[in-house]
Amino acid sequence: MNKFYYLQAIKGLRRNPSRTLLTTLGIVIGIATVILVLSAGAGFKSYINAQIEEFGSNTVTIETRIPASTKQRAQGAEGGDTAGVAVPITTLKKRDVVDIARLPNIAGVYGASIGQAISVYRDVSKNAFLFGADASRFAIDRGVITKGRAYSEQEDRALAQVAVLGNDIAQSFFGEEDPIGKTIRIGALNFEVVGVYARRGSGGFSNDDEQIFIPASTLQRKILGTDYYFYLVASLVDNTRSQVTKLSMEDVLRQNHQVVDPVKDDFVIKTQDENLSTFNTILSATTFLLIAIATISLIVGGVGVMNIMYVVVTERISEVGLKKALGAKNRDILYEFLYEAIILTLLGGILGIILGTFLSFVVAQVANAFGFAWKFSVPLIGIVISVGVSTAIGVIFGVFPARNAARLSPIEALRYEP
Amino acid sequence: MALIEIKKVDKIYNNEGVATSALHDINLTINEGEFVAIMGPSGSGKSTLMHILGFLDRPTNGEYLFEGKNTEKFDDEKLADIRNRRIGFVFQSFNLLPRTSVLDNVALPLLYSKNLKNQEERAKEALASVGLAHRVNFMSNQISGGQKQRVAIARALVNNPAVIFADEPTGNLDSKSGTVVMGILQRLNNEGKTIILVTHDRTTAEHADRIITIRDGEINTDEKVHNKHIAKEVKIDE
Repeated sequence: MNKFYYLQAIKGLRRNPSRTLLTTLGIVIGIATVILVLSAGAGFKSYINAQIEEFGSNTVTIETRIPASTKQRAQGAEGGDTAGVAVPITTLKKRDVVDIARLPNIAGVYGASIGQAISVYRDVSKNAFLFGADASRFAIDRGVITKGRAYSEQEDRALAQVAVLGNDIAQSFFGEEDPIGKTIRIGALNFEVVGVYARRGSGGFSNDDEQIFIPASTLQRKILGTDYYFYLVASLVDNTRSQVTKLSMEDVLRQNHQVVDPVKDDFVIKTQDENLSTFNTILSATTFLLIAIATISLIVGGVGVMNIMYVVVTERISEVGLKKALGAKNRDILYEFLYEAIILTLLGGILGIILGTFLSFVVAQVANAFGFAWKFSVPLIGIVISVGVSTAIGVIFGVFPARNAARLSPIEALRYEP
Repeated sequence: MALIEIKKVDKIYNNEGVATSALHDINLTINEGEFVAIMGPSGSGKSTLMHILGFLDRPTNGEYLFEGKNTEKFDDEKLADIRNRRIGFVFQSFNLLPRTSVLDNVALPLLYSKNLKNQEERAKEALASVGLAHRVNFMSNQISGGQKQRVAIARALVNNPAVIFADEPTGNLDSKSGTVVMGILQRLNNEGKTIILVTHDRTTAEHADRIITIRDGEINTDEKVHNKHIAKEVKIDE
């Protein structure tokens, strides 16, 4: 750092306050935008990751599936899952849960059925989603019961009319009142509230906070009048062996369901890795989109800085002429502009980082206020790239016109009219 | 002794392929300590001549000896050095840096000679010699036109040059301020400084000892002034 050029640069910047302000502003906005976009992207990723976490990190799901007909198979179709199909597959039974639980590498397994019924407490009535799950679910699911308790294996077997409430539905039924031990009506039956979940945040594909959790057998026998599960969830001891476990689960289910030809399977087993592939597709598409947006912001910011730099240097060519007349060498002119550009871009860079970080923080706060599990973070790579690019642009476009001006003869520069 | 000696100098401008001759076959010698006025109507080439003499521009053809040295082979850096140490300029439109103090404006040539010693004292001394010691800390836009031109003269003087070029120094001034400026130039000349004045105005030119008239890029006349105007350097503190 040469003190002479530094002082000249500072004087130069003070002489041209509007230019200094505009250039700084251009850089600030460019850098802040890139940081904001990348930080929001990281926040969105953290939100998606949280969703994946909610899924459970080492679980396997067993869903029902309509076996392909002979005709479909001839056409090469593989059959599909049961979503949106009127004919339900009714073969997932308690026996499957029990047999799978005995397999090696299985930490736990539960079956789940889903229903819906008008649920009433005093004058509050809601058309609530009923989640009927085996008691073993409480050991597998990550939800935390903050008030009361979970229902037990015995209660499940005994078709007990007990319920654990999601946080929001408990709130709408009971408000400040303590729900534990109170009776709510679900459909035609009375249930005792034994527990309430902590709030999990909307965030998922189903909103757990609005659901009523009751024993699977109670839901099946007493409300739905069935004896089958919609799907099973198993958690593994060692996720790295998930494919082997999947094979032994298939054997058990085929035996129980009397399927000989795997093509006729009425179930489909998805390991966590297979479930994640969908999320990963979303994530990589998101990342790609964000990089595109950040690149565009950087280009827009860069072009802004470039224009301002070019205009202001052009405006100052007669000043260059005067300085040359007074004995400034080409090198002096160049270095003065170079130092000015460096000081400007550094100043703009610092302010841009501060502004971008602040805006990212605000976005994260707003997202959290709306219930998204959004982590606030500022990606270092974003700072490095945006500051690097804007500095490069500022310096290049601050110095190139200055170099051309310095090369003019003093009188050409003095008489230059922009 | 000859300070400036040019032989057979031409200046041809090339504008988008059209060549225009601004100066043709100029031969001129100016000795140390002279006060010379270069006169002519606008477009005559008088300014071009001054720019070449002051190394603001280079001749197309011809020889230029400055302080006895042929300058043809001098590079940009060497010429910048000559402008800095041996030449002072005073322009019609003052050309002070805006939003900059009077003192910093005057000290600018010292900065470019990388002479950081006694800068402030030398700048103040130069300002005192044009009667502006009391305006040192003013900003360049806070003073009158006449004072601006005196600041410009102080700036031209600060590196103690051999010659001062003044291009229409009174052109933007009222007659009273103009007289003050001419008075300062005459005093500097009396103190031994070579002054080269460019003007279109005969009365102003007659403050010099010698008038060279230029017409159509050539020297028309070159003669001594017999009834030299003496500008009384009235002490005015506006």
